[in-house]
Parts: sequence; structure tokens; C-alpha cells
Amino acid sequence: MSGPDAMHGEMPGSPLPGRPGGEPDEPLLDMLFERRPLPPGAPPEMHDLARMLATLDGPAEPGELAGEAEALAAFWRLASPAGGRPAAVRPMRRGRSRPPTRIRAGLAAAVTALVAGVGGTAAAYAGALPDPVQEVAHVMVGAPAPHHGGPHHPAVPAPRPDTQPALRPASQPGPGQNHAGGSAKAPGQTQSPGSGHGSAKGDHGTARCCAHNPPPGQNKPGRRPEDPGKPTSSAACCPAA
Amino acid sequence: MRRRVAVRLRRGGSGPDTGPVIGAAFGVILASAQAGDETAFARIFRDVQPPLLRYLRVIAPEAEDVAGDTWLHVVAGLGGFRGGEQAFRAWLFTIARHRAADAGRHRARRPAVPLELSDAADQLASPDAADAALEAVSSRAVVALVASLPREQAEIIMLRVVAGLESGEVARIVGKSPGAVRVAAHRGLRRLAQQAERAGVTR
Repeated sequence: MSGPDAMHGEMPGSPLPGRPGGEPDEPLLDMLFERRPLPPGAPPEMHDLARMLATLDGPAEPGELAGEAEALAAFWRLASPAGGRPAAVRPMRRGRSRPPTRIRAGLAAAVTALVAGVGGTAAAYAGALPDPVQEVAHVMVGAPAPHHGGPHHPAVPAPRPDTQPALRPASQPGPGQNHAGGSAKAPGQTQSPGSGHGSAKGDHGTARCCAHNPPPGQNKPGRRPEDPGKPTSSAACCPAA
Repeated sequence: MRRRVAVRLRRGGSGPDTGPVIGAAFGVILASAQAGDETAFARIFRDVQPPLLRYLRVIAPEAEDVAGDTWLHVVAGLGGFRGGEQAFRAWLFTIARHRAADAGRHRARRPAVPLELSDAADQLASPDAADAALEAVSSRAVVALVASLPREQAEIIMLRVVAGLESGEVARIVGKSPGAVRVAAHRGLRRLAQQAERAGVTR
């Protein structure tokens, strides 16, 4: 028997391969796999091998349990009867579907630039920028000229979505124009004295029109006005226009 | 002249003394996890994740991601699993092996050995690394040494030693006969002993 894979028990006590005349000690190798302690007379190489295998099967090392939160998130999502999971826990990472960090960083930069550009343009058209910046925006993109001597921000704040209906009749005072003691009202309860508009349908149409084309001095912040060189429909739909 | 460097491995004794870590309580813990008890599931995770990662580091470069995929599948099928701890481990490592194969198919370029593992193996095999390993050898370093073995031998050793599976279970997982698994395991251990001696991981 000269091969390296002698049958169990055929060559007990033989030294490790690579030694002169050596053949593997298969019973000892089996003992290693079976987690049985080696006999005292086993070659030292076997004891070294046993210690290596014990290290291989040792307790968790730092970082090896890093995926626990993600696994628990998957458990909450898929296996828990409640089916919920804490919002703070990220969903399990999927290696194949996750874009590389470089792509994600580029995507984030592009989104940031887009948001900054759109937001800056909107602020410029709303006249909400500081005067020097507003002046630049006025020259560069045709935004309104800065209000010299006046406040940078309009007196009328943007309506809060949680307190204002989506469509507000033109005659209804805005949040910054409320009458004393006034508060936001539900649609149908907002018609102010003197508005004198027609039907509800007509009121809504007028409100929509006037909301897009506010009378002078009632510019809604954050909304881009119509192209100055383009006729608007304010005169046709807004009684005050 | 062959260098021999004394290396203190993390565990004393002359052989692996591990087995199923949870043991007799596994059935209760598994049932609790199947009923939605996250503490029970976390107990299973902490028990299996380290050997799972070590096994995957031998067979897949993207071990952490494959482990995540594996747990997704385990969680999805947890409710329907029936069996003891050995069967659970065999099931989980079978899933991991399949997920690693999927990852390999999706990989554009696949090195024969994971780069970090080959690097680690080179470091361990170098005399300087052996000197650096005087104090301790981490499981990661030994994993790297195993990863330098032929793929089949390395995988079988990991399934036998790290996953704690019997020869028959390993044979089913890798699609070979129990005899072939035994032969490959022995060859792998012999080669591992040779490499450890070359790397100075002896005493």
C-alpha cells in the first residue's frame, strides 16, 4: 500500500506525508474529524493540526456577527407574526443588487446637485434669496429683481399642508393674512364677505386660476410666475386682476 | 533548514472539542424562533453565523453578501423546517452553498482564490508572517490557510470541521460518495499539515 489514502486502520501510527517513508495516519485524521482527543503518543504534527482545527471552529471573532441586525430585520420582515420591524433597522443587504459604493456616491452627488439647482432656482424666482444673489439670479435666469430695502423673505409664508386645504379660494386670507382670531377653515366654510363669486364649481375654478396667478402683491412664495413675456390668464379669470 | 515557530493557538487541548453549540435546547429554541421569537432567532444566528462566514470565505469571495442572502432564505423557510440541530446546519450550509454558486455565476471576473484570502495565505506562508503570528493565530488566518487548499478539499474540511457535519451529510451537500468525501478530507488535512509546517504554524 503506497498511496496516500490507505484504509482506516491499515497504517496506524504512521507519520505525516512528506516525511521519508511516511504515510498518513488515517485513524488519527478520523479522530480529528470526529472531535475525539488524540492519544498521547500521537505525532506532534497531529496535535498542531488539532489545534488549528480547534481554532478554525473557535468562537466568534470581532466582526463576524456584524450582520446580526440585518438578519434580524429580515426575520422581523419575513418570519415574525407581526410582520413589522423597527424603522431604525436597515433592510438586509443584497450583494448582487446593491450598486457599488462608487456608483452610489455618484448618484447621491447628482441628486444633491439636482435638488440644489431646482431649489435655488425656485428660491430665485420666489425672490427669497439675499439681494446680491437675487441680483445675480435676476441677470442670469430672469428671476425677479431683488427688493432693495425690503425683507428678503415675503411676508406671507407658504401654506402648511397640514392646516390648509389644497385649493384655497382667492378671497380667503392666507396664513399670514388671517383676520384676527381667524384660523384655517375647511373648504366650503371659507368664503369671505364680499367675495361674491358664483357657484362652488366656479369658485374652485377661480381659486385654481388665481392660485396660479396671484394678484400683484400677493405672490405666493416658492411658486414660479408665468413667463413675463407670455400673456397670462389672470385677467380673464381673476376678478381682482 | 526548515523554520519552526511556536505558535499559540487560541484553544488548548489536543483536538476539537466542539459539537453542536446549542445542543439539547436547540429544539425549543428553534420552535420559539419559528413562532416569531426574535431572541431565539438571534441565538441561532450567533451560533451559526461564525462558521457560516468562515465556510463562505473559503468558497466565495463575497462571503458577507452571500451570508446575507443565505439568512434571507433561511428566514423565509424557517417556518417549514423540521429536524434537529445537525439537520438544521446541513440545511443552512446547503443553502449557503447554493447561494455561493449563484454569486459565482453572477460574478464578472472570478479569481480562483478570493483576493483577501490569497493575500492572507501568502502572509501566513511567509517567514515574516510566521514571526508575526507568534502570539496568536486567528481563525481567519487558518481559514486563509484552508482556502489555499484545492477547492474540494477545502470545502469538505470546512463542512466537516466548521459546520460540524457528518460525512454522510457532507457527501449529500457536495454531491459525492461518503468514501470520496473521506478521501478528500484526509488529503486536505495532510496538505494542511504540510502547509502549516511550511508556514511555521507548528511547535
